Amino acid sequence: MSVSETVTRWRYRIVPDHVLGELLAKRWIDNAIPVLILLVVIATFGSAIPDFFTAASVGNLARQWGEFGLLVLALMIVMVGGGIDLSVGSTFALGNIVALALMNVAGLPVPAVVIGTLLCGAAVGLVNGVLVGYLRLRAFLTTLVTLIIVRAVVDMLLLTYSVRIAAVFPDSDAWFFLGEGYFLGIPLSVIVTGVIAILLHLVLSRTRVGWHVMATGGSRRSAYNVGIPVRRVICTTYIVSGTLSALAGLLFASRLGGAGADTGIGLEIAALTAAVLGGNSLGGGRGSAAKAVIGSITVMLMVNSLVRLGITSGANSLLLGFVLLLAVAIDVRWLKNRHKLLSEVYVSPTYAALPPPPGMGEGLPYALNDRLRPVERIGLDRIDGPEDVILDDADNIYTGNRTGDIVRFLAPDYARQEVYVHIGGRPLGLAFARNGSLICCVGGMGLYAVRPDRSIEKLTDETNRSLFSVIDDSRLRLADDLDIAPDGRIFFSEATIRYEMHDWPVDCLESRGNGRIICFDPNTGTTRTVLKNLVFPNGICMTHDGRSFLFAETWGARVSRYYFDGPRAGTVEPVIPDLPGFPDNINRASDGTYWLALVGMRTPSLDLALRMPGFRKRMARRTAPDEWLYPNINTGCIVRFDEAGTILETLWDFGGENHPMITSMREHKGHLYIGGIFNNRIGRLRLDGADATWTGTRSYWGDA
Amino acid sequence: MDGDAVLLGGRMIGPLIRGWDNLLGRGEAAVTVPALDGALRPNRALDEAAARMPLADVDDLAVLEGTPVASAGRVLHELSADGAWAPRARHDADILALAALADGGLALALEGGDILVEGGAFAGRRVALGARGRCITAMAASGATLHVAVGSTRHARADWQHDLLGHGSSGEIWRVDLATGARDRLAYGLGYPAGLVHDGGRLVFSEAWRHRLVAIDPNAPHGRTVLYHDMPGYPGRIVAAAGGGHWLSVFAPRSQLIEFVLREPAYRARMVAEVPRPYWIVPKLRAGRSFHEPLQGGGVKHLGILKPWAPTMSFGLCVKLDGDFQPRSSLHSRADGATHGVTAIAEPAAGGLLVAARGDGVVVRVGADRRGGGR
Repeated sequence: MSVSETVTRWRYRIVPDHVLGELLAKRWIDNAIPVLILLVVIATFGSAIPDFFTAASVGNLARQWGEFGLLVLALMIVMVGGGIDLSVGSTFALGNIVALALMNVAGLPVPAVVIGTLLCGAAVGLVNGVLVGYLRLRAFLTTLVTLIIVRAVVDMLLLTYSVRIAAVFPDSDAWFFLGEGYFLGIPLSVIVTGVIAILLHLVLSRTRVGWHVMATGGSRRSAYNVGIPVRRVICTTYIVSGTLSALAGLLFASRLGGAGADTGIGLEIAALTAAVLGGNSLGGGRGSAAKAVIGSITVMLMVNSLVRLGITSGANSLLLGFVLLLAVAIDVRWLKNRHKLLSEVYVSPTYAALPPPPGMGEGLPYALNDRLRPVERIGLDRIDGPEDVILDDADNIYTGNRTGDIVRFLAPDYARQEVYVHIGGRPLGLAFARNGSLICCVGGMGLYAVRPDRSIEKLTDETNRSLFSVIDDSRLRLADDLDIAPDGRIFFSEATIRYEMHDWPVDCLESRGNGRIICFDPNTGTTRTVLKNLVFPNGICMTHDGRSFLFAETWGARVSRYYFDGPRAGTVEPVIPDLPGFPDNINRASDGTYWLALVGMRTPSLDLALRMPGFRKRMARRTAPDEWLYPNINTGCIVRFDEAGTILETLWDFGGENHPMITSMREHKGHLYIGGIFNNRIGRLRLDGADATWTGTRSYWGDA
Repeated sequence: MDGDAVLLGGRMIGPLIRGWDNLLGRGEAAVTVPALDGALRPNRALDEAAARMPLADVDDLAVLEGTPVASAGRVLHELSADGAWAPRARHDADILALAALADGGLALALEGGDILVEGGAFAGRRVALGARGRCITAMAASGATLHVAVGSTRHARADWQHDLLGHGSSGEIWRVDLATGARDRLAYGLGYPAGLVHDGGRLVFSEAWRHRLVAIDPNAPHGRTVLYHDMPGYPGRIVAAAGGGHWLSVFAPRSQLIEFVLREPAYRARMVAEVPRPYWIVPKLRAGRSFHEPLQGGGVKHLGILKPWAPTMSFGLCVKLDGDFQPRSSLHSRADGATHGVTAIAEPAAGGLLVAARGDGVVVRVGADRRGGGR
């Protein structure tokens, strides 16, 4: 191996390229830029203002943030629902004056003041909601008008009540607690806003109502088409927004106790800046309480720090305007380019050198022949993609198809077929359990059992999550093949955790250890990952000692043996390290050896590309997926080998006319039954000299 | 591209721009290939041809006093009355190109660089181009003048894929006076000229590696006019069509993957060094014969069928050009077809259009009804 190749190998072993794509695929990555901006703001002003981090400074800021944060949350709810609420500032001012009037002038008790104020805010929200939600007026103009009207109302109330408000000094502990109290050392307003933020987060991410709001904001028409009451949902967001704004006004009133003409002026712009800066999309459907909190803290810090630095208020507004502009620009660009970036960087190949392929010339074990030429075709053009085949004691054939059925071909002539069960997903590996249940790996779903009475039972669809995996690898994406140990434990392979079912050949471009072998124990109902970082683990077959199994790694072109019991438990030993093709399923043969399907053959050009990850990465980025270099899965063969890894024979259909693709084979009563994932037939080959009474079920479970 | 580089400061900035383009896959590093559309819309006309006449290794065609002749290896064949190819003459080296002379003679270019004439007024004339003529690709006669296209002076004809991978630009055009045996070089530094034809006073040749047709004036060969550029394949021999216009054979397709490999020097160098030639990622006259050949994503068989639109490294394509050398219609054999690697076209006065598909070792006759291309 040359020096540069060694460098390449270590470079790809050390740098986890694939993590970037996995991070970008996460929903929370939207928060990355807002958090970064927040950190920059803290660092800038923290160093510019001497006592920035003192308790008094932070406490004072925090109390103001409590009010401002509520406004941003109010706006966020409306924005997520696809609208905008410019009247939050006016409603805030209205909440302030109403609270003061109820407290100081009417002399109501504090709970009544709170309820009255909130109802007042809700009423403003209801007006907005009815106009925008039910009458379908433009949100921007409507709330602009309510902004002006509510502001006018506030001015009129001010004229009437301001003197009387100022004249009275309320004597209520509860009122003071509301404005200046601490709970566990934290200002009350912060507690209130924090609790509301958490509630909103739970509602948006975990409840039906929240999902309705997200769906409506994401696509109003689609939401309507799936039956979401769009108008009511939108109206509700405005009511919540009005109520929260009034609550913010109430907190403000209890803190300062004064009604001025400039209360809440320009707040809607600050709140809008905060909401957008936090990453809440102006287009709707994308936003969260966390984003609102991050954005509000950023704007709060900026505005207050500038005041403390002695910058005039005009420059302050100017800066706010610029930040809003910047935030909107980032929002648009990010939304537009995230998926482009993701699609470009997700495929992240790594260095994967395969051992030199063995020769295939005349007289060698892999020599070409046409022994598969006499294959009979079962169900030609009546089956779409039989990945694995299995037979029961009555010689019926079971196989999965592309549309999610397990199909049964009826013995003896297999002319008739029936849908045995519809399971959904993509049925792949099959095996019979001791009790006669058909255990099935279903791509996209997990591990399922079909009982003899045709009832379907989910065995497992998740395993333990890895500690440092960015991708949620607890879900089973591509359960592939399985086999059952004598004690009933089911070992199955998950080919890759990075790609969905239909993209399985793309995993070859990466050739990283994206796959694993998982054990489901029906006795305890637990699922545990037993082997990780395998290169597309595929076929699994129990050996005859009952304490180990053979497994194939497709893109690794090798077969290995794993001991799960006995003195060597937990060890893996190579059986065939250098196949000339890509192995798929493994199954028992009647004489104690094993059948192995090679789904495709290695090509020298791909072998070379596997040693040049940069080449494959650029290829994935520059050319269309249909143009990508693939493993040659158009031609395959069947190999028989023993536990020592000796190749005993090879069956070819050179030219691939009769049986184009082979992903599995099953010996049964002197015949070999052949499946292929992209095939339109099941092959049946008579085996000369094989035990004509041997069946797989009996080999596993005896005559019982 | 050249113009931009000059505007941006020439040599200093050029490499920087190329590096940046290479990083982002833009500019020269972009691997876009024009779509087969308009006049080049795919059909199955070559596979549905009226007659198929097998001839292994067929390369060039010519019409000699109404009789079609074909070169295959060292043997010159002629089409017999029963529609099969019969050997006519055997030579001591592979025949690289044919050109029928107006007086009934036939000029042949042989592997060693010799051009010899059989029959007609110049019978027996032998002109040696020597080592420069190892890769003669096409010839065109006009009176006593023979124009010769030399694809590459670095590689032999059989190594044309090597020349492409090396971005070969050593092709030349020669003029041979059959009356005197004098020869002179009209043009050099060409990207594999693979076909040429006289059109009035000018000489039009195809420059395969640059995917274009270029016209020069043989008497003032320094000015070049590009007639048709950015073709979706590698253009080869050109012949005049009956009733005006020309037929252009396109011997191999361009594809995104090949364009990409052509921009990857490290991979190319290792591929040439480590991978046997039949299994390279290069355009071919016939691809898909061995499972050791590269397979592309769209080429995976589903339900036992290779899709006609699958990405392929070989195809069959004849383009009908109008008087201005613009495409008017085309005959295709797609990825799943059996008439790949079209190296020559001939149009005898009687008997339809003959198309030599070297990749599949067959000459097909396309009836008049399909000569306008697909439906």
